[in-house]
Amino acid sequence: MTAVQDDIQFAELHDAPVQYMQRLRDYYLALGYDNPYRWAQYAHVPFCPPDKSLSESRIGLVTTAAPFKPNAGEQGPRAPYNAAAKFYQVYGYPSDRDQFLGISHLGYDRVYSTAEDSNAFFPLPALREAAAQGRIGEISPRYYGAPTNRSQATTVRQDCVDILRMMQQDEVDLAILVPS
Amino acid sequence: MSLIARHLEASGIPTVVLGSAKDIVEHCGVPRFVFSDFPLGNSAGKPNDRDSQAATLELALQLLECAPTSRTTVQSPQRWSESVAWKVEFQNIEYMSAEEIARRRAEFDKIKQVGQQIRDNTEALRSKKR
Repeated sequence: MTAVQDDIQFAELHDAPVQYMQRLRDYYLALGYDNPYRWAQYAHVPFCPPDKSLSESRIGLVTTAAPFKPNAGEQGPRAPYNAAAKFYQVYGYPSDRDQFLGISHLGYDRVYSTAEDSNAFFPLPALREAAAQGRIGEISPRYYGAPTNRSQATTVRQDCVDILRMMQQDEVDLAILVPS
Repeated sequence: MSLIARHLEASGIPTVVLGSAKDIVEHCGVPRFVFSDFPLGNSAGKPNDRDSQAATLELALQLLECAPTSRTTVQSPQRWSESVAWKVEFQNIEYMSAEEIARRRAEFDKIKQVGQQIRDNTEALRSKKR
């Protein structure tokens, strides 16, 4: 580091958001898969301003976390990557009930994260608190589980349609989506 | 998840995504995005830290209220740690031996196989219901 940089106190060189697309491309190429994944990419992005205040709104929560699956191996904190815990059908679950949700089926950072606190990837308790305080109107009667298909066509043609239908049935005003 | 946000938004339901893979979410393009510069798996705040989780949710709520246009990203001011080791090390082949890479290849082949089996079973069930 030069004296000038030292003086103006830049952050450390690597202290920037991880470039996951490049990192994962390099990773899978090194593993011998020679057909790099094409990440979803759009030039245009829809925008729909809310038509009522938060305190009058019903909020729907979407998660990629999975309910516990019997006979599918370790799914809790520190579990190794567990493809058997994956699911490929959108699910809905009552928001006023608690159930185990895990992310063992996902490629999260297993070195620096343990997945021991589901509130770090599934903010239903924080949302309940916001509802109790009147910050939001209410929570939708169900929350929604989204499969993590590698097939983007399936996500668009099937999962998007299923989640929209469920949200419309539940008269959801606003959606919070939390990938893990 | 970004694809779902786009679909909901286009269908009249305003959305916000909470995530930690900034480049992936922004590459796709979503209406509103709260970016937490944390290791993957902590999109809703730090584990065992209610204040962190509440602050992250509050950013999402504010974004729903105030985002002026699509592709609005807000970065949480929270820091995971002062060390950047987690950023440098995540699935970084520069830190892996040839044996480690071979082990991961075998493991991923197995993961794909198991995933495909579940996907096929789900599809078979779905076809039966139709």
